[in-house]
Amino acid sequence: MNTLATIVQIAGVALAPLLPGSIQALKARLQGRRGPSAVQPYRTLRRLWHKSAVDLEGTSVIYWIAPPLVAACMLATLAIVPVGGHAGPFGLGNDALVLVGLLALARFALAAAAWDTGNGFSLMAAARDLMISVFGEALLVLALLLAALPAHSTDLRAMSVAAAGGHIWSAPAHWCGALAFMLVILLETGRQPIDNPDTHLELTMIHEGPLLEYGGRDLAFLQWAAGARHWVMLILGAELFLPHWGGFAASLGLLLAGVTFLCGSLALIETTQAKLRILRVPALLGVGCAIALAGAGMWVGGVGT
Amino acid sequence: MGTLDAVALAGAATVALGGLLAAIGGGLRAGLAVQAAGMTLLGAAGLAVLTGGDALGAAFRSTIGPALGLDPLSGFFLAVLALTAVPTLVFARDYLPTSPGARAVGALTAAFLLALVGVLAARDVTSFLAFWELMTLLPAAAILVARRDQAVRSAVYAYLAITHLGGAGVWIALLALAHHGALGDPSALAAAGTGAQTVVALAALIGFGTKAGFIPLHAWLPRAHPVAPAHLSALMSGMMIKVALYGLIRVEFQWIGATPRWLGLALLAIGLLSSLGGVLWALVQHELKRLLAYHSIENVGIIALGLGASLLFADAGQRTWAAIAFAAALLHVANHAIFKALLFLGAGTLERAVGGLDLDHLGGLLRRMPWAGGAFLVGSMAIAGLPPLNGFASEWLVLQSLLHVALHRPLGVALAGAVALAGLAMTAALALLCFTKVVGLVLLGPPRRAECAQAVDPPMGMRAGMVALAAMCIALGLVPGLVVPTLTGLAPGVHGTVLARHAGLVLPGTGSFPSLALGLALAVLTTALIGVRGKRRAARSPTWVCGQPVAGALGWTSAGFTKPLRLVLEALLRPHRAIEVERDGGMVQSITYTGHVPSLLDAALYEPAVRTGLRAAAVARRLQSGNVRTYAAYLLGLVIGLLVLAHTGALG
Repeated sequence: MNTLATIVQIAGVALAPLLPGSIQALKARLQGRRGPSAVQPYRTLRRLWHKSAVDLEGTSVIYWIAPPLVAACMLATLAIVPVGGHAGPFGLGNDALVLVGLLALARFALAAAAWDTGNGFSLMAAARDLMISVFGEALLVLALLLAALPAHSTDLRAMSVAAAGGHIWSAPAHWCGALAFMLVILLETGRQPIDNPDTHLELTMIHEGPLLEYGGRDLAFLQWAAGARHWVMLILGAELFLPHWGGFAASLGLLLAGVTFLCGSLALIETTQAKLRILRVPALLGVGCAIALAGAGMWVGGVGT
Repeated sequence: MGTLDAVALAGAATVALGGLLAAIGGGLRAGLAVQAAGMTLLGAAGLAVLTGGDALGAAFRSTIGPALGLDPLSGFFLAVLALTAVPTLVFARDYLPTSPGARAVGALTAAFLLALVGVLAARDVTSFLAFWELMTLLPAAAILVARRDQAVRSAVYAYLAITHLGGAGVWIALLALAHHGALGDPSALAAAGTGAQTVVALAALIGFGTKAGFIPLHAWLPRAHPVAPAHLSALMSGMMIKVALYGLIRVEFQWIGATPRWLGLALLAIGLLSSLGGVLWALVQHELKRLLAYHSIENVGIIALGLGASLLFADAGQRTWAAIAFAAALLHVANHAIFKALLFLGAGTLERAVGGLDLDHLGGLLRRMPWAGGAFLVGSMAIAGLPPLNGFASEWLVLQSLLHVALHRPLGVALAGAVALAGLAMTAALALLCFTKVVGLVLLGPPRRAECAQAVDPPMGMRAGMVALAAMCIALGLVPGLVVPTLTGLAPGVHGTVLARHAGLVLPGTGSFPSLALGLALAVLTTALIGVRGKRRAARSPTWVCGQPVAGALGWTSAGFTKPLRLVLEALLRPHRAIEVERDGGMVQSITYTGHVPSLLDAALYEPAVRTGLRAAAVARRLQSGNVRTYAAYLLGLVIGLLVLAHTGALG
């Protein structure tokens, strides 16, 4: 089982860009366009791989190291997040809060690189990203707390196992957790109504902003990291908050179904929702935090368990 | 007398000798080196007591006679003190000689260190209080020797006033404990009843909390720490506030007996307020040392969260997690001492190199000062709680503790844990925002002032002190698991340890944090990806700013980077801004912008208190008319009053 889980985890490195690609393709269909195909991110990566990277005047080692460091952080998170309740022997543990730290390190590397270039658009986007992450991080740990409550552990494998079966759905806390984590997914993958992944207007960018000064393989690393972020968040969402039961094979199958469902949901939300004003986003995330806290109260209070 | 006693005493004597040497002409550098040697000896003794587990010298007693000794908890704090003091003294050897009042400050540094050691080693009330007061007064003296302007005097006055008003709590708590004979005997105060217990617990919380910088008793900290010479700022922010936490731990965890639940919840609330408040007001500072001082408040808040969680676990009877949360708080004590000392030394270095610490007028220093800048970068990443550095290890432990508080009934405690967990996550994200800003404005980008373009790395001693501290940040981040089991043994009621020793942190109920493996994996993966990337780069090009030339005036500022957050939290931060536009014949000639964020608590709490105090003084002054007959009337009134009281028997 663990061997198969290892294979799926490693396959994630190659499969990750497929997720944003398929969301874009699905979204185009929903909007009545033909749109790019689901494998468009791979074509972009191939194109970038053959272009030369750009060095900026006056930058330091931070600009140079940020793209590989961000990609390395995401590779480490791929190793930490289990699939179907199992993970390979990568030796990096499977802790939910370590994951939070790795995402923060990636965010720091990109924001510091934005400072290094001194590009106003990059810095505007980095400032917004860090501001939103203040509220996003609180929501993320609360959602993880809700998943940890039934497992009594922050081991992602145990959390996945504890969320299996139909019984958990009788607890309102689990529904609260699912709702809160959906907001986390929207935030971390940079999707509407929080961020617009299709924008080409620098003034409205959040996640795309700090990438502006990069090219070639540097940009390829960062684009892949964005895909990996989708992979990690959707897998976590499906593992912890979508229905799954039975043995490992059934869990893997349901994981696939869950990720597909989440891709479809993201495409649907993007089609129907306009982007929020940036200053309204904290209020949205705050509502998520309140829901999560209510869920935690209900679980510990014994409602539905 | 055993070997360890001899080592500890020799260490103290050596520090004193170093102080004397520093005071005489020409012996400053030698004196500081001797002090460093003495602190090494003291630290070695502390480490031996910590790992050996046996106490040294006298035990705690409630009698008057002075007594000194060390137990494992003192040993831990002593070891941390030495770990930060030795690099700081090495730094001071090259830093201090060119400062004003250098010899006096050098001698006072030794006295301050001895006072810190004295508080940790005191085993009775009188010596504890004596060293405690010395610890407060000596840095004030050193600041006044080094700087003589009016603003500094007023800051020192505020420091002494607030720490002495609040510090009265320490006297009340300790004298009450000694009165009940409870020093070193947890059952004595429990026998005296919950009333006495509550008084002692509250008095200690206020007294030690003032000195530790808990909000709302923090107002002195951001005023006093930035004005001290760099190595003293490092020791004050690094260790003095930790010694206050040492006192808090002694009283609340060891001497008041069974700890009430409200104390755990109170520490969680104080911790949450201090960590969030500290980091929020740090974010809106424009001066680097002031910003760092506010971050000290944030970090004592994080330590308080760990301590509060530990008390709540102990109350619920979960011994293992109580010990883990306690160890988490202690690990953060050590980590914060190390990276805060590093950052203050870095700030002092930068001030020397470029002559000013206004954040908007630095920049580009990482390329020009690779050693000092690199060490400063490591310290910033550590305090921002980024893996694989030491700040993340202890924040991870505190987060885990709070999360596990939230797992168990009673409901109120669980919800408090959940709120504290979310608050700490926000604190970590805010610290990341703040230090991204600091790193960006200080180390990266173009130099924003001519002096920054000419800056060079400091002399060897200053460099060595900072690099040593940065190395400790990395080492403690990679192998925290070697330290934590020992620290769990310091928790009350634990004998030996509750955890097995690993390089990383392997705890029950977590997915474990193999810090060493993670650090190595990140390093190897990054290196491999750099290799894969190859060397093919296009010619250097300027940053794209819509085709315009890159001009310094268009660069981002500290205020600009935090603007989104200021807008979101406008109701809380209440920023002031003023724009003056100068026009001449309809043409705009110049625009002046000033903006600052006032400290909410200063405005809401301290200013009314000061106003009321001044008004009361004005009323009291009316009594002093200067007229002899009025004073004779006062005397007459007093005598008659006393006679009446004596007559009614009210005087007994």
